[in-house]
Amino acid sequence: MPNGWTEAFRQPRPPVIADPSKASGEYKKKKRAKNVSGTLGRIWKYLAQRKLKLGLVLFMVLISSALSLLGPYMIGVAVDDYLSGGGAFWGLGWVWFLVVLGVVYLLGPITMFLQSIWMIEIAQETVYRMRVDLFSHLHKLPIPFFGKRQQGELMSRVTNDIENVSATLNSSAIQIFSSVLILFGTLGVMLSLSPLLTLLTFIVVPLMAVGMRWITRRTGPLFKERQSNLGDLNGYIEETLSGQRIIKAFSQEDRVKKEFGVRNERIRLSGFWAQTISGMIPKLMNSLNNLSFALVAGIGGILAINGQVTIGVIIVFVEYARQFTRPLNDLANQWNTLLSAIAGAERVFEIMDEEVENKDEGKAAKLDKIEGSVKFDSVSFGYDEGRNTLSDISFEAKPGETIALVGPTGAGKTTLIQLLSRFYDASGGKITIDGREIGSIQRENLRSHMAFVLQETFLFEGTIRENIRYGRLDATDEEIEEAAKLANAHSFIARLQDGYDKMLNNGGSGISQGQKQLLAIARAMLADPAILVLDEATSSIDTVTEIKIQQGLQRLMKGRTSFVIAHRLNTIRQADQILVLKDGGLLEHGSHDELLKQGGFYSGLYHGQGIEGEAGD
Amino acid sequence: MSLVFSFLKKYRTASLLALLMMVIELTVELAQPYLISKIIDDGIANSDLNVVWMWGGLLLVGTLFAFGAGIASSFFASYASQGFASDLRETLYDKVQSFSYSVFSKFATSSLITRMTGDITMLQDTIFMSLRFMTRVPLVVIGSVVMAMVVNIKLGVLLALTVPLLLVFVLWIMRRAGAMFKNVQRRLDKVNGVIQENLTGIRLIRVFVRMKHENGRFAASSGKLMKNTVAALRLTETTMPFIMLVMNASIIAVLWFGRADIASGSATVGEVVAVANYALRTIGALSAFSWIAVTFSRAGASAQRVKEVLDTENGEFAQTNVYGHQSGVSAAAFAESQDSGAEPVEGTVRFENVSFKYPTSDIKVLEEISFEIGAGKRVAIMGATGSGKSSLVQLIPHLYDWDKGEITIDGRSIDQWDTEHLRRSIGYVPQEVLLFTGSIRENIAWGREDATFEEIEEAAKIAQIHETVEKLPNGYDTQLGQRGVNLSGGQKQRLSIARALVRRPAILILDDSTSALDLATESRLLGALEDISCTTFLITQKISSTQAADLILLLDEGRLIAGGTHQELMRTSELYRHIYESQFEQGEALHA
Repeated sequence: MPNGWTEAFRQPRPPVIADPSKASGEYKKKKRAKNVSGTLGRIWKYLAQRKLKLGLVLFMVLISSALSLLGPYMIGVAVDDYLSGGGAFWGLGWVWFLVVLGVVYLLGPITMFLQSIWMIEIAQETVYRMRVDLFSHLHKLPIPFFGKRQQGELMSRVTNDIENVSATLNSSAIQIFSSVLILFGTLGVMLSLSPLLTLLTFIVVPLMAVGMRWITRRTGPLFKERQSNLGDLNGYIEETLSGQRIIKAFSQEDRVKKEFGVRNERIRLSGFWAQTISGMIPKLMNSLNNLSFALVAGIGGILAINGQVTIGVIIVFVEYARQFTRPLNDLANQWNTLLSAIAGAERVFEIMDEEVENKDEGKAAKLDKIEGSVKFDSVSFGYDEGRNTLSDISFEAKPGETIALVGPTGAGKTTLIQLLSRFYDASGGKITIDGREIGSIQRENLRSHMAFVLQETFLFEGTIRENIRYGRLDATDEEIEEAAKLANAHSFIARLQDGYDKMLNNGGSGISQGQKQLLAIARAMLADPAILVLDEATSSIDTVTEIKIQQGLQRLMKGRTSFVIAHRLNTIRQADQILVLKDGGLLEHGSHDELLKQGGFYSGLYHGQGIEGEAGD
Repeated sequence: MSLVFSFLKKYRTASLLALLMMVIELTVELAQPYLISKIIDDGIANSDLNVVWMWGGLLLVGTLFAFGAGIASSFFASYASQGFASDLRETLYDKVQSFSYSVFSKFATSSLITRMTGDITMLQDTIFMSLRFMTRVPLVVIGSVVMAMVVNIKLGVLLALTVPLLLVFVLWIMRRAGAMFKNVQRRLDKVNGVIQENLTGIRLIRVFVRMKHENGRFAASSGKLMKNTVAALRLTETTMPFIMLVMNASIIAVLWFGRADIASGSATVGEVVAVANYALRTIGALSAFSWIAVTFSRAGASAQRVKEVLDTENGEFAQTNVYGHQSGVSAAAFAESQDSGAEPVEGTVRFENVSFKYPTSDIKVLEEISFEIGAGKRVAIMGATGSGKSSLVQLIPHLYDWDKGEITIDGRSIDQWDTEHLRRSIGYVPQEVLLFTGSIRENIAWGREDATFEEIEEAAKIAQIHETVEKLPNGYDTQLGQRGVNLSGGQKQRLSIARALVRRPAILILDDSTSALDLATESRLLGALEDISCTTFLITQKISSTQAADLILLLDEGRLIAGGTHQELMRTSELYRHIYESQFEQGEALHA
């Protein structure tokens, strides 16, 4: 009969993500939202873009909630006025009464359907806009932001947290609203019919509260214990499976099996108690429901005999009694989901609140071409106030020169490059390109004249051709091939089954590290920059592979102002200038031979073979 | 499914008790509308207070009874499902441990971990829910229909007619929604993939100024995700309204016919009310149906994944020798054993035209490799990443079977050695450092459980880690986090070398295990290794550590392109000379 009935029976929708690791019943650590009203306000701003539709949804919820109250009431009327007595309700005949009931019954599902699909449309649009906003915001954030954050944690904000918001907006929001409406509606109708029976029905509420408290007080620590045992077991599984090769090579299978058994037993015990006691919750709810049913039926029967209530009223109460605990239950459930979604949204907004890279100044220039002379004039920079990462760096590079940056980890080599590409702005001194201060060049324009080959060769999911084309989006196939030839990449690509159309998956497995680096070189070649930065481009490559890509690199560097950061000194030897950095200062400066003659830090490094020792332990 | 039942067999009693308790609980609930009809018809209609007291009291007692049964069912179901999961996990883990390494590596480690954790928990939850709740749903539907017919056959039939119709509808929706959600999942993966790529490549994107391009790409895939999600949800959202519509219609029918029957005396008011009440319970149960079906299908997939592992052949070789299974027996103890395949290993290793490819791939990793090295000598192996160096040394402890040729140790084919005995005589230090949670002492003793503290210290001294350990506040009792996160790379490498040395191996394999050491430490280590007598395989990038080797193997794309001493290779191999030159200053080092 009543719509609210079925509403009440609704089960939580199965999660869309069919990932067993998420279904593992692991209880996520709930992070509490800090600023609920602020976050809600911002979600509202997104939702408010569809005000009209949202208004319609609310209207539908109102109607469907009212209809769900009307249903059981009319059944009671039917029993009293038409089935038992000969009376008529509002003077309607039996057939007309059924027609009215039919309309109520028809409108119920329809309003329910409309409210949910409209809400889904609003919710998904909202989530779409949040996603896109967040994503484009990420691209406006300064690079150091990404160094400070763990990638996995960022990833989880952009994916899980937003998914969480999405799922909650889809259903919980409406459900909470209609639960509240139905709860109060039910209460009102019940009170107007029979205050005594209402009291009886609500007798179970304190019982419910007491019972829940009793259970949750016990399950809390139990779940914690189970969780820590589960974490321990999963950790052990992960450790021993990742280390399987060692276990095999050392013949330790029996031992790990035994240790696994101990952990497995521990989790069985704690899992058993946690599950048994938490399993009582639905049973308790059910039983209390049954209890109020019995009370209403029994005592209502007695009242009916005394003529204090009609049979219809008992029937209405029996329905309501079963119905009202559901919204309560729903509210409790949805409330938690809602809070965790708000916390999720808050984490998303936190990122959107991160400060973006400084805007270009209004009159910043856009250069079509640069020659590539670079000058640092007593440049200083500090990430934190009062502590300089770089201090008083001065040097000048003519177009086409190769500048090697040498120094131990943390000496400031990468920072220097980041200043040049304006990921940061220098706090003191002046950096000029072709005599023009880089602050007066549009950031993107400046970067478009530079190309980078980094230690981590990054390849996108896509074909080899697409990956090279990333260097210049409007490049023709011929140009791409030409770049690949110059980079020495063409021959290996040609030998691949699909050639330039070979799909690379994320991270580019399937081709070797040296080949990946060759693709990165081809990409930089295609970009045809005036300034080139090789940031440890060969340091994660073994020496034999390095020999193989050396030629491609040489060609790439030819005719471009190149900044090379490298650990291996042989790569550095041919540079026109070598800048030796230590603790943020320019310690030595000159060509290889000059520096050797000086017999200073560089020469010490050189004879000690490599700076790698510094990075050791 | 058969998998689930075979593991549940042990907990048959608990499972059956849980089900029984659930049925008791259900019976009480299903009796409620019937009792109400009794109260109305026999009690209120006849103004008989006693009847009302009796049935009302019965309702109350039944409620208490049902509560007890519910608690008990929770207990039994929990016992059965936890036991089930524990047994299954243990069996699965033992199974995985019994795999040969080549079988093991057919599975991605992450997928095995998921199967042992997520999949089993999924199965356990499903069993728990089934025993207490899910099996209840079809029973509610059937029970309600039957009870409705008991109360009043004609009105009950009305209800019975609608149920199959709704069932078919729900199943149809589910099938379609399943496909649509799969699509949604694919879109979501795509969206997440773009994010992942962008976060990883953020610097590159920034320097190539491709933000607009990436934003566009992301908006496109997000847009598709939105469209698909809306379509899928729109479909599933029709389920409930439709069920309600049909059930509402049947309730109106019940009222219509009910009134006529009351008039003719063939039905009572109580009966009509009871049938309507049963109809409502049916709606509730049906609405849970789609959720249950989804849960079952996911549990089925989990069971399938677990079964796949359990059904895999072990593939372990040479498990015939009984000595091999006595754990804790040191290599020395084998000296007394005269059994074939378990004599002490001297350490002469010979490869003869060995070719090898990984079981999961068609690409030859090693081709026609031949060399021989005497006991106690040192082999250095050089080559580019992917040239087959690690694969070559992994064949020595028989982690994989090779395809062609012959590998012998002390003149006896590896096949003929007892695998476990052979491995006990080999100290293997893999490229990636793998330490286990526990103290430093435990980690070194991991190499040989019965090692004394003196032996552990000695191994640590040779591995050049003793001094570092001594300096730690807790010395050898310092705890290492998961995979030893609180040590530097070089310290971890030396620790895993100590772990291999404590075995007093006849053959020592160092797979690029000194890469994070500075030159001085490395040369001290290599010097100390010369004092102990074992055949050493040393994979390295550094010419400095190859020079003292008795044999240098230069690999390129799986082929042995040069072999000999440093002097020989300097004469004969151009690549070796290149490497040499790239690492040493031409002038200076050559004259040195």
